[in-house]
Amino acid sequence: MAINLSFILEKAGSVKYEDRPVPKLESPYDVLVNVRFTGICGSDVHYWQHGSIGSFVLKAPMVLGHESSGVITAVGDKVSTVKVGDRVAMEPGIPCRRCVRCKEGKYNLCVDMRFAATPPIDGTLAKYYSLPEDFCYKLPESVSLEEGAVMEPLAVGVHITRQADVKPGQSVVVFGAGPVGLLCCAVAKAYGADKIVAVDINEERLKFAKQYAATHTVVSQRESATDSAARITKDADLGLGADVAIDASGAEPCIQAGIQVLRTGGTYVQGGMGKSDITFPIGAMGAKELNVKGSFRYNSGDYATAVALVTSGRVSVKELITGKFKFKDAESAFNDTKAAKGIKILIEGVEDEA
Amino acid sequence: MSRVLASSAPARAALNGASLNASITRIVRPAMVKASKITNQKRDHSACCGPHLRSYATHSDLPSSEQNLSFVLKKKGEVTFEDRPIPKLTSPYDVLVNVRWTGICGSDVHYWQHGAIADFVVRAPMVLGHESSGTVTEVGEKVTSVKVGDRVAMEPGIPCRRCPRCKEGKYNLCVDMRFAATPPIDGTLAKYYVLPEDFAYKLPENMSFEEGALMEPLSVGVHINKQAGTKQGQTVVVFGAGPVGLLCATVAKAYGANKIVVVDINEERLAFAKKYAATHTIVSKKQSAAETAAQIIKECDIVEGADVVMDATGAEPCIQAGIHVLRAGGTYVQGGMGKPDIMFPIGAAGAKELNIKGSFRYDAHDYETAIGLVTSGRVSVKELVTKKVKFTDAEEAFEDVAASRGIKILIEGVPDRRDSATA
Repeated sequence: MAINLSFILEKAGSVKYEDRPVPKLESPYDVLVNVRFTGICGSDVHYWQHGSIGSFVLKAPMVLGHESSGVITAVGDKVSTVKVGDRVAMEPGIPCRRCVRCKEGKYNLCVDMRFAATPPIDGTLAKYYSLPEDFCYKLPESVSLEEGAVMEPLAVGVHITRQADVKPGQSVVVFGAGPVGLLCCAVAKAYGADKIVAVDINEERLKFAKQYAATHTVVSQRESATDSAARITKDADLGLGADVAIDASGAEPCIQAGIQVLRTGGTYVQGGMGKSDITFPIGAMGAKELNVKGSFRYNSGDYATAVALVTSGRVSVKELITGKFKFKDAESAFNDTKAAKGIKILIEGVEDEA
Repeated sequence: MSRVLASSAPARAALNGASLNASITRIVRPAMVKASKITNQKRDHSACCGPHLRSYATHSDLPSSEQNLSFVLKKKGEVTFEDRPIPKLTSPYDVLVNVRWTGICGSDVHYWQHGAIADFVVRAPMVLGHESSGTVTEVGEKVTSVKVGDRVAMEPGIPCRRCPRCKEGKYNLCVDMRFAATPPIDGTLAKYYVLPEDFAYKLPENMSFEEGALMEPLSVGVHINKQAGTKQGQTVVVFGAGPVGLLCATVAKAYGANKIVVVDINEERLAFAKKYAATHTIVSKKQSAAETAAQIIKECDIVEGADVVMDATGAEPCIQAGIHVLRAGGTYVQGGMGKPDIMFPIGAAGAKELNIKGSFRYDAHDYETAIGLVTSGRVSVKELVTKKVKFTDAEEAFEDVAASRGIKILIEGVPDRRDSATA
């Protein structure tokens, strides 16, 4: 019987199950978590298909997964904020805590970040996972472990929305109605945005967006960026333009339309990742004096905010969970995610063979 | 070919109908002309400037009959001197200024050569110029902050004061901005110009009119640094060693930037930059953006990447290199204007979580800051003035700027003869 069954990416296109040693607690501040649910992200699928993202290249077999929740089974000597039995959401990126970025509060940009399932760091699709206590967030009774696994993408949505500095009364256009785009809509709504326009090519996802958090939806068409912007502005009655544009697609036409749909002085946030180099309307950006920001994962306060938003009911994530697979059927879960079936698919933790 | 200055509309209309291909349309009332002092020189510029430019004549004596001699862009490629009515004060808060010095910007040259910048198209003759200083000659009833005789730097863009952008303090983004020499608004290359008192800034005793005319581009540099949030101890890279790039560098220095790297293709301008405000200079080469970034980091001993990049070129390779040379979390400011759509490294911008901002002209406090920097000696602008020409030689100044000769060229104003001290 396996002690720590793990779902591993051997090389691009090839996954397998393997037993691995139970992780040791590396510091007295670490905890051991029995992983219960893991969601799948586009980046997991990308590593599976291509074996790399940018300069991160898979060079040795690696455990997949990073969007997880679980139950604490062991704690280090100095742990004081959680105890054995606690149900937690797991923040999967551990920074060095010593570099300039860490010390200025932008630990997501840490030069020595160890991020689950970004090579060469093993991920969370295993029976057990160890991490520092301050990267575990207790889930209240009212929040399920399934919802706990959605805290990671929700934290991404929170970070993007905070980069955008969405304020009450503002209009926000979100390009992409996949999980991240939908969560950005939900957070923007919770932050008081008055108009939330979801844009996508997929009409089914737009229908969901309308019921979920968007006030308006627009179907992408083959047209110029300025035509697209004009159409969005007209359909959603945006006046001089949107206050905020968020891209959760990484797609060139969306990025261009996002810049064009903003009013002067507006804010654009790049959440999605696509082609590294695209044709970009820098003239419009300069003359309209836009604020354009990158957004990379999450940092200080984002996870806690995510948990708080769900606990208080200001954001609901249950409805995004459209499928659950057993651990042994993990590859099917990956296949469905790759085919854009549903919204968020979860893989259950390893079952004890009792 | 004789030139006549007509003070009446019918006379001007008659001349408009005539063939003016080879002459400048300055018309003088024959009785006022001192023939011996008028020279009629035509220069053939087709070799250096292209066939669309007009020839012109120099003139060493200005007839006293004109009210408000103005340097006008009739249409793309065609400039002329024209007398126009003295502008009236439009509100009790307005002042009338006798313009003393005017600098020229790349945008002025662009309207001259192309007749348009983006959606702003020259559809009717327009007075050029917007970088000016002068003397107040008249004040409206409610003016309290300046008086007749005051020497002022002129902020040339008047916002509406009512729209959401104005009321939130970003008046540079005003939907109804009336900006001098942006069509259809007339510019400052005239004897007189009207503006509200709060856009006329008194020049301290220790600042000359010439320095006053430099307050406009310096305010652009101040605004770019404000967008960048330049701080003590930072490493700043400026692309472009033209006037704006140089002024960005010197403001960054005044704000405490530790390392100021200026990048350009022009080695002469870089040599000047090194004496002026840069700690390091880099000559642009034909190489990839990533290679340029690596070169800058290596040669200037930068750890990880720059904190701030300011682009004062609008050139695609510079913009790309700017994104690549920044550290994670760094700030990029787009000051320069070039091609509206370029290949841009959005992946790097996203993954490094950069802050990228546009920068457009200037807004609240920028002009005061500019004046404060010069009067206190923290920034020096005198050395940027490489040539001064008389008002009637304005076209020569435009040609020099178009050819990137020198750094900042100033055009002298038309003196107000009522002010005997300046006659």
